[in-house]
Amino acid sequence: MNAAGSNPARRNGIGARTPRREDARHLSGRGRFVADMKLPGLREVAFVRSQVPHGRIRGITVPADAEPGSVWTGTDLAPIAEPLTATSTLEGFRAAPLPHLAVEKVRYVGEPIAMVIASARAEAEDLAARIIVDIEPLPAAVDFTGALAQDAPLVHDDWPDNVYATTSGDIGDVDAVAHDAAVTVTREYTMNRQAVVPLETRGVMAQHDQTSGQLVVHSSTQTPHMIRDMIAILLGVEARQVRVIAPDMGGGFGTKCSVYPEEIALAAVAMRLPYPIRWVEDRWEAMVSSTQARDHHYRITAHAAADGTLLGVEADILVNAGAYSVHPWTATMDATMSAAMIPGPYRLSNYRFRTRSVATNKTPLGPYRGVARPGACLAIERTLDELAHALGIEPNEMRIRNMVRPEDMPYTSVAKKVYDSGDYPEAVRRVSALIGHDAWRKQQQDVSDGARHRIGIGYGSFTEQTAHGCIEWASRGLAITIGTEGARLEMDSSGGLTLSVGIKSHGQGAETTLAQVVSEVFDVDPALVTVVHGDTALTPRGDGTFASRSMVMAGGATYGAAQQLAGKVLRIGGVLLGEDPKKLRFKDGAVVGRTGSVTYRELAKEFLFTPDHVPGVEAGLEVSFYYRPDTQTGAFTYASHAAVVSVDLDTGAVSLLDYAVVEDCGTVVNPLIVDGQITGGIAQGIGTALLEELVYDPDGQPKSTSFLDYLLPGATEVPMIKIGHMQTPSPHTVFGVKGAGEGGAIAPPAAIANAVTDALRAFGAEANETPMTPVRIWTALQDAQASPVRGAAMTGTDR
Amino acid sequence: MPHDLTIALRVNGRKTEATFPARTTLADLLRDRLGLTGTHLGCEQGVCGACTVFVDDLPVRACLTLAAACEGAEVVTVEALEGPDVEALRADFSREGALQCGFCTPGMLITACDLVRRREPLAREEIQEAMAGNICRCTGYNGIVRAIEKTVDARICAEGP
Repeated sequence: MNAAGSNPARRNGIGARTPRREDARHLSGRGRFVADMKLPGLREVAFVRSQVPHGRIRGITVPADAEPGSVWTGTDLAPIAEPLTATSTLEGFRAAPLPHLAVEKVRYVGEPIAMVIASARAEAEDLAARIIVDIEPLPAAVDFTGALAQDAPLVHDDWPDNVYATTSGDIGDVDAVAHDAAVTVTREYTMNRQAVVPLETRGVMAQHDQTSGQLVVHSSTQTPHMIRDMIAILLGVEARQVRVIAPDMGGGFGTKCSVYPEEIALAAVAMRLPYPIRWVEDRWEAMVSSTQARDHHYRITAHAAADGTLLGVEADILVNAGAYSVHPWTATMDATMSAAMIPGPYRLSNYRFRTRSVATNKTPLGPYRGVARPGACLAIERTLDELAHALGIEPNEMRIRNMVRPEDMPYTSVAKKVYDSGDYPEAVRRVSALIGHDAWRKQQQDVSDGARHRIGIGYGSFTEQTAHGCIEWASRGLAITIGTEGARLEMDSSGGLTLSVGIKSHGQGAETTLAQVVSEVFDVDPALVTVVHGDTALTPRGDGTFASRSMVMAGGATYGAAQQLAGKVLRIGGVLLGEDPKKLRFKDGAVVGRTGSVTYRELAKEFLFTPDHVPGVEAGLEVSFYYRPDTQTGAFTYASHAAVVSVDLDTGAVSLLDYAVVEDCGTVVNPLIVDGQITGGIAQGIGTALLEELVYDPDGQPKSTSFLDYLLPGATEVPMIKIGHMQTPSPHTVFGVKGAGEGGAIAPPAAIANAVTDALRAFGAEANETPMTPVRIWTALQDAQASPVRGAAMTGTDR
Repeated sequence: MPHDLTIALRVNGRKTEATFPARTTLADLLRDRLGLTGTHLGCEQGVCGACTVFVDDLPVRACLTLAAACEGAEVVTVEALEGPDVEALRADFSREGALQCGFCTPGMLITACDLVRRREPLAREEIQEAMAGNICRCTGYNGIVRAIEKTVDARICAEGP
């Protein structure tokens, strides 16, 4: 199926820098987001949310003058909507049913307790403010130390401790190689908790259409088909009675791909109301009730030979997963991904790991761009630099020596992942050249001892499973094993092409790139292909947009549909032109033969209006195609990032002087869009590395819940990124495409932490916790100077 | 109950009289009452800049501006941006990858228009500083900065010395 390069003449097909078709509407303010919708009689919803991290609900008092039907509590909802229970096949996994509105207990600040409906949002908030929730506060489990203590408060009363699940593995013989190692280092790393922060918050609008009897739910979701399924299941109706529409979305980045209590609550209540209702999350709600991310702690021990060969790695991984397991990912998603990604792009045979996914009184953890890989990458890449430093090897050279080589491909990693293709060491060589390694080393050395700043260079490399199929999700215990995407392509009576897909593009530009796939087959201007997505009534079933899968999976489905439809169009053309269909081709919107040509417009009109003119060709001018890759182990995108920083010794402030990446996402469908994904991902990774932290106080109160104290990267924090591409087609996917959505966000914390540590080598201070805020770096410097023996590693207070 | 106010203002060149509860923000007036949903609300805390509109020719946060304070004001939103400056900006935004999801774009365009019309040559760092009040979560700003740089240069060139 690998068709890369099959149509070198296509101007707008695979590889073209086609302008984005989405741009025009957004540039003129004509985008349509959930909050922009108008429906007759629409009423607005506000939620009453828990202000305490952990407590027992003693009573909810609704004002006597509240209109009947304007306030809904967990007790009202219980008979009409089942709680959401994310299950897992992992041994010993403990489920934590997620109530849509809290009953009996609240388990995090922001947990919804009551739903309030009024004619406007402000009025709904007025009423919500008058509802009195009597809660008996309980001690909260917040950080790892507290949550794992013998006498820890239990987040879920019927559990023996606060652990969702423990996983472990012991491959090869770590103890034997430890004995022979020239150097062994042990370090601890913390990647603190983040909010995901799509600029558009979540929003849900639900209406029970009295005419059709159908429940229509608009939601800003990456997974409309999955939301439809879960609404049907939890409300006890058939899926045909539910239609989910995801209109324009202001980003998602993973936090909009879980099933949420608000979606189910609005759907259940709307079924019982004669008017539509809508809830638009405000920013405070988004900071406390949209799924959060990261919050990992690592203890890594690594052993290496004198020549730098990585002999063995031991990893103890803790993930603070918050109060509930979200569907379908579960609370173990980060831990299982992290354990599999610690071995990174390296040839490693001896690996021992343990993961524990810990329940706490924080907001549930969910997917965020990179899913656990940024933490795993930070842990292994920082450790690799410590080994290299101990052995006197340059960090880029250390990576090159240990990486899986092209001749090793396909390579089964020690964690049983099958790396499919590429030249990992070459990416390091190229990024070293792109950043100007030698020149920066010289500048670094030229900084005088008396200067109050230091320069450092750091690298971060990774390989990333993208677009994986069913068996991979099953191996991580998911109840839903994702791996199929549908596409339907129709040629209409005017020769126009409409593509419908089950994914949901929400900033990735799939209306452009999927049109390019159609263009690759039919040689039409992508601007003339309509791409429909985000509506379960109009699109074939699909799993959604996440896990860097849409270009591979929906692209594969689109190509399959286009190929089949193309075969039929050629047969019709053969009849109309009186030529052998095998000798016809597509050019500029027409079927071209030896003696003549027929435009799609003429062809479609002939076939659809007067099928008797086209004998021998079966009816219908549309094709549905479902794509499931034959090989389900995924297409591995890899990259090496390089960062140069300046660290202010007096303030601990880190500034980025230069940043480069060399990446390989296989065949690039649209360089404009791929570069945008990379740069945008890196900006988010810079946020992880230097700025963004959801701070919880020891009692479990979140303290950075507005943009005034949760710092996002702005235009001044992101340098101009230097990007280099390698294009090794994946052998497993259509066109050799690999996922490109997440990679940018994975390596910046590692590269920047290595650069900061490199800058501070002379002082023995290390950067082992994100975000690397000025106070953390300054403290690490002070601690290092206070105990100059090995230098103080900057580690978290948790454990 | 909150009491209502009535004011007269011009929105996108049209005389408008609006009656609303006193606590209504300019953003809610534009979006909910005048149907101008191109002005987006990203934080309602005055930080993200998605709601930026022109009020009497100055870029302001519509989420922090009370509608009641706009008596007699001239308000311009993204829907009514027009002229060679904004046409050039739109083209360069598209060419340089200055938008992805499009949610921050209206505010970005208003702020960028304000920069371009000054006809001052701007260093890249100055553009970054000037755009620091508008958050984009998708693009990483590189495309936005390049697009504004190009438009600024082109518009200065187009009008000659």
